[in-house]
Amino acid sequence: MKHHNKALVLLAVFALTAATAAIAEPTGAALMQAVYDRPQGKDMSGLLTMTLIDAKGKERVRSIKQILGTYGSVDKKLMVFQSPADVRGTSFMNWSYAEAGKSDDQWIYLPALKRVKRISSEGRGDYFMGSDFTYDDLGDRHPSADAHTLTGTETVDGESCWVIESIPRNPADLYSRTVTWVSKEKSVGLKRDYYDKRGALLKTLRVSSVEFISGVWIIKKTEMHNVQKGTSTRMEFTDVRINTGIADGSFSELAMTRGL
Amino acid sequence: MKLRMALVAVIGLSVLALLPVVADDGAAFNGYVRSKVGALVDGGDYFVAENALDLRLSYTLGDASLYANPVLYEQDGAVLPVDLREAYIDLRGDVLDVRVGKQQIIWGKGDGVFITDIVSPKDLSRFLIPDFEELRLAVTGARFNLHTGTQGLELVWLPWFTPSVTPSGIWAPAMPFATTPTVQAGTLPGMSLQNGEYFARYSWMGSSLDLSLMGGWFWNDTPAFKVVSLGPLSVKPEYYQLAAGGYAASGALGPFILRSEGAFYGNKRFQGSPMVYPDGYAEKNEVQYLVGTDFSVAGYNFGLQFIQNIILDHETDLVDDAVKNTATFVVAKTFLRDTLTVEVFTYVGFAAPDALIKPKVTWDAADGLEIFAGAYIFLGDSGDFGQYDANDGVYAGAKLSF
Repeated sequence: MKHHNKALVLLAVFALTAATAAIAEPTGAALMQAVYDRPQGKDMSGLLTMTLIDAKGKERVRSIKQILGTYGSVDKKLMVFQSPADVRGTSFMNWSYAEAGKSDDQWIYLPALKRVKRISSEGRGDYFMGSDFTYDDLGDRHPSADAHTLTGTETVDGESCWVIESIPRNPADLYSRTVTWVSKEKSVGLKRDYYDKRGALLKTLRVSSVEFISGVWIIKKTEMHNVQKGTSTRMEFTDVRINTGIADGSFSELAMTRGL
Repeated sequence: MKLRMALVAVIGLSVLALLPVVADDGAAFNGYVRSKVGALVDGGDYFVAENALDLRLSYTLGDASLYANPVLYEQDGAVLPVDLREAYIDLRGDVLDVRVGKQQIIWGKGDGVFITDIVSPKDLSRFLIPDFEELRLAVTGARFNLHTGTQGLELVWLPWFTPSVTPSGIWAPAMPFATTPTVQAGTLPGMSLQNGEYFARYSWMGSSLDLSLMGGWFWNDTPAFKVVSLGPLSVKPEYYQLAAGGYAASGALGPFILRSEGAFYGNKRFQGSPMVYPDGYAEKNEVQYLVGTDFSVAGYNFGLQFIQNIILDHETDLVDDAVKNTATFVVAKTFLRDTLTVEVFTYVGFAAPDALIKPKVTWDAADGLEIFAGAYIFLGDSGDFGQYDANDGVYAGAKLSF
């Protein structure tokens, strides 16, 4: 009997522990890892329209065809500019590695020079083609690069979100911290604030359209606003196709010169 | 020559014939109009007043496509004949691409240096003053490209030899003789299998390193001057065949991109004293190589290259030194959301010493509209660059792409 009672107590403690764990809030690091690990499909293709808006509201539009794919532990991306006319045919390729600490490989092809040139990927804080996005903003930043803290929950555009503050582990990073609103349902970041080195708000990123395509949540419309300069960049993905079987060989020097 | 003109004309006309269907899928029509004026600093004489209409026409049908790039120049008030810069047919396959016609073939990893970039000749009529993209001339022939993702094997056959355009007018270099010779007319090699040019390149693109190996049996793009008579001195330009093999590589090391390129040239001709060399030249092997790096600091992009030319078994009566060292230095930065670009490209010759400094400012005033201005400044009194010390100049212009 005594043994029977002891067993019941142990069972109750186990059940209580399990239930507590089930309802406990996840950590900021776990949530950002979930965003990073969110299924994105084996490959993707689409047309990116990037609109640069200056402080006076004047717009410039860039149109870019792009393909992406994951091959083993390497994520590959190829972007080919369609317009404006003076950059048509320019292409940019990036290979990103899952291996921690391994830098990306990047190449650029300028049609006027008819030559593919390897470029440094260390300038991840540089702005992409005159936009308000840095190369780092556009890439999949590994969660281990920051220390994450879950600070609460808020609603963004009617969706319940986790609010996570991320502080770069490398003091040389462009931002002192970022705050991200992550959809609880989709594990997609819907909003992010970027703070400069002085701790002042520098940029805000808003995602205005997320679609479920072929089993994958795809961000289709997003806008980055630099609150200090008054400039904005709008990005819109159209003709998005998932898992069409893009071959590894599509990410090559030849592909850069041929275009998409 | 007639066959070449006929082939180019057929391809060009084929593309032009497709112009009426530009509205169809697969057809593309773009290009630019550019106006450019330049003057010498010393005396203010115009050295270029040029308007250009550059058209790029293409039509794709399945795996085949046509491309033509006619260019119309008006220089110093005179309209020049239409120049067909490129005109070719492309056939694309899963493992083999074939390009036939007039085309530019660009190899190598160097900037502004042509060590393994020896397939397409150069238009050096204004020395190295034009943009690098305008220096290259097309060659007529066939290129076969076997590819398997990150590896490729290119085979090039050029049945016709196309020489470089040598500097002329105020850009004519000093002749490699003690007295000014009379230069007789040279002749180009006739068309035959033996007179064809043959090139091959294997390339591999990988994580952290890109590598290519090349070789060729070809005609030297610039002639050697053969002494015809000593009194008075008379010479005749001669093109000659030679072989070369080399490599090009680039890789990433932390924040640095490291580049290297090198080649061995067999039996290249070097001018020498006619008193020692009856032909006016001697055949020697030569090694050329470069090492360079690209990196960024605080938004400024830097590029450094060191280039060395070594004549093997050098003899003192040759005009060129046994070893020639050159360096290039480029710094570039963009402003105003990448709409304003400032760049300075510099060549430095160590022997004289001498230098060529090419600063340029480009402003993208609107999408497709580019306004530019620049200068070229020669330093030194002799050497590859110093010999043009009196030719410092400035230029400005506008380019509208469509």
